[in-house]
Amino acid sequence: MKKIITVSLAAMLILSGCGSAPPTKSQANGSSSATAGAQPYVAMDAKGFQFQYWQVVEKGAQDEAKKLNIKITFQGPDNESDVAQQVDMVNADLAKKPAALCLAALSTTALSSQLSKAKSMGIPVIGFDSGVPNDSSGALVATAATDSVKAAAMAADHLFDNQDFKAALTKATTANPVVIGVLSQDATSASIIQRTTGFINEMVAKIQSEPNFANAVEVTGQKKYNKASSSPAKVNIAVSIPPSTVQSDVQNSAQQLLNQKNLIVIFASNEGAADGMLSATNDGSDLNRSTGKYKNLLVVGFDAGKNQKAAVKSKEFLGSITQDPYTIGVDAVLLASKAIKGEPVSNIDTGAKWYDSTNMDNPDIAQLLYN
Amino acid sequence: MVNGEKSGVLEAIRRSGLQKLLALGALLIMCTFFSIFGQNFFSHSAFMNILDASYYIGFMAIGQTFVIITGGIDLSVGTVMMSGALIGGVAYNVWHWPIAFCLVVIVIVATIFGLINGLLIAKLHLPPFIVTLGTQFISLGFGSIVAEVQTQQYPTVNQADGWFKTAFYRTQGGFPMGAVFLLLFFIAAYILLTRTKLGRYTYAIGSNEEAARISGINIDKWKVIVYVLSGFSAGLAGILYAATYTTIVPQTGNGLELYAIAAVVIGGTSLAGGVGSLVGSLIGVFIMTVLKDGLMSMNMQSQWQIFFTGVVVILAVLLDIYRSKKAAQVKN
Repeated sequence: MKKIITVSLAAMLILSGCGSAPPTKSQANGSSSATAGAQPYVAMDAKGFQFQYWQVVEKGAQDEAKKLNIKITFQGPDNESDVAQQVDMVNADLAKKPAALCLAALSTTALSSQLSKAKSMGIPVIGFDSGVPNDSSGALVATAATDSVKAAAMAADHLFDNQDFKAALTKATTANPVVIGVLSQDATSASIIQRTTGFINEMVAKIQSEPNFANAVEVTGQKKYNKASSSPAKVNIAVSIPPSTVQSDVQNSAQQLLNQKNLIVIFASNEGAADGMLSATNDGSDLNRSTGKYKNLLVVGFDAGKNQKAAVKSKEFLGSITQDPYTIGVDAVLLASKAIKGEPVSNIDTGAKWYDSTNMDNPDIAQLLYN
Repeated sequence: MVNGEKSGVLEAIRRSGLQKLLALGALLIMCTFFSIFGQNFFSHSAFMNILDASYYIGFMAIGQTFVIITGGIDLSVGTVMMSGALIGGVAYNVWHWPIAFCLVVIVIVATIFGLINGLLIAKLHLPPFIVTLGTQFISLGFGSIVAEVQTQQYPTVNQADGWFKTAFYRTQGGFPMGAVFLLLFFIAAYILLTRTKLGRYTYAIGSNEEAARISGINIDKWKVIVYVLSGFSAGLAGILYAATYTTIVPQTGNGLELYAIAAVVIGGTSLAGGVGSLVGSLIGVFIMTVLKDGLMSMNMQSQWQIFFTGVVVILAVLLDIYRSKKAAQVKN
């Protein structure tokens, strides 16, 4: 009996200690961490952590933070479908009273009350990567991001510079239309939606400006992007979005595109999609230019990563577009530091580059290609 | 070797629910630990964050407690919750129904899944593990089919129909309405489990189903009711989830049932059935959310949160076994 009494007394002591501690104490703790003189604290919430991309963003952020004498923390949810987990993370970060919050939102709507809270707490929000699209709270002050529409349009432009693509396209007829596949990993992330839109729009515009191809392009597969052609289509842009970002689902969607007749191109809109593409083609060996099952298929990727880089290097992929994750991290922290000091800030386009087997070893490109 | 006085003490500890006490102790120790080592953990906003993350797990865990006490398990609650929330979202965004109807849709969808679970388990005598694993996939797929794999957004506070967030999540002044609903539902469930026939039969089925049958209890009927209750709880969890997180992504929710089951187990409810309490489950829910928010306040990534959740579950089961052994010794 004594034991129970001791345990419960101890528990009650802790409880009363918990309950009655003066609130000023915690506030003092909070403000000391937020404004500890020289080192302001910036919380960064990414969209994930499972791709190395984010680790390069973090490296850029850490390097810049060291330079500017800022303390940062960097975290992301377990996968890019986990909206609730990111909401909890942002909540936890706001509780730490950071001097600024850098955010790559999975869903702006889901974070709307957190953004309003940041606004009322006077915490400036800096978007990075896909940023915080359509923020209506006014908390967002600036964004460091790739212009995804422009970047993805670049993929379409490079395809048009390719002789094989032009040859395959001109063979297309209404009786035997060709298919251009678009593999997009996600239907919610703004950056991926923009990439998909950017690629499709540029592709449609370019094809329609070819002789005999006016109004002969249709977009199918996903309600969001569907577009009928006014005359019978010679080119079908087929969009495939896997039901989740789990690799097996992405692979299935890639397979679905590969089964299409007269498939001439696949555009994989991020590292996850590119990896899914590779696993659907026997780790890329089916794409081998001379011996592969799909040797005439042109694949254009996006982002980098070890597998995708190897595929570009061996010409299994025609090439890929890369963002500059390091600069995204650097610029996000730079914007945060300016915003903390009250200096004026504006959006930064952190840029994108085309890389293929010919230029990927150039130092200026190689440094952008994370493994 | 056990003398009269000592066995009396052990019996007292057993009756007072040693594990509940230990769970509460662990919760307090965790609070203290994170208050000292976490960054601004001991604050109003951190407390509110812990509440936020508790709502949906709490509702699921309450329904799950009934199921586990009968000796069953409901693996479908996470996806049933999401399926309901997703279809409610479709009703709102696509069919343009008034938001209040959409919330009812969430509960109806989830309750129907509970009914299906209950009928398959009670009437066809299929094992609960298999049935609810099946309905986990069915609900996961069904929600996505209805939503055409499109993410559904619920209205935010400042939009039209935003009242639903102030009613179920937080008032404009920041008062946690979700906690009020969780508490009300907890009280109702507590009365059901401890003061009504349903509660008595729930324990009776879990302790010894054959004996309960022989004593004239309509086992099938009460089992169906228990699974319906679990589905209903998941539906309410769906409303609170939608109010808290706004965005419902298709093909998600699997894995969330494990949080509810873990909370129930941490709270001392035995997976063998017949033993368990709702107070314990609620403490279990808060142990998990405090752990999650606490580790975040120490800037530890989510892989650590998952890791430590696992450690806590195993410790809780070990304690449970230790307790049962002690209790058995006392009986001898």
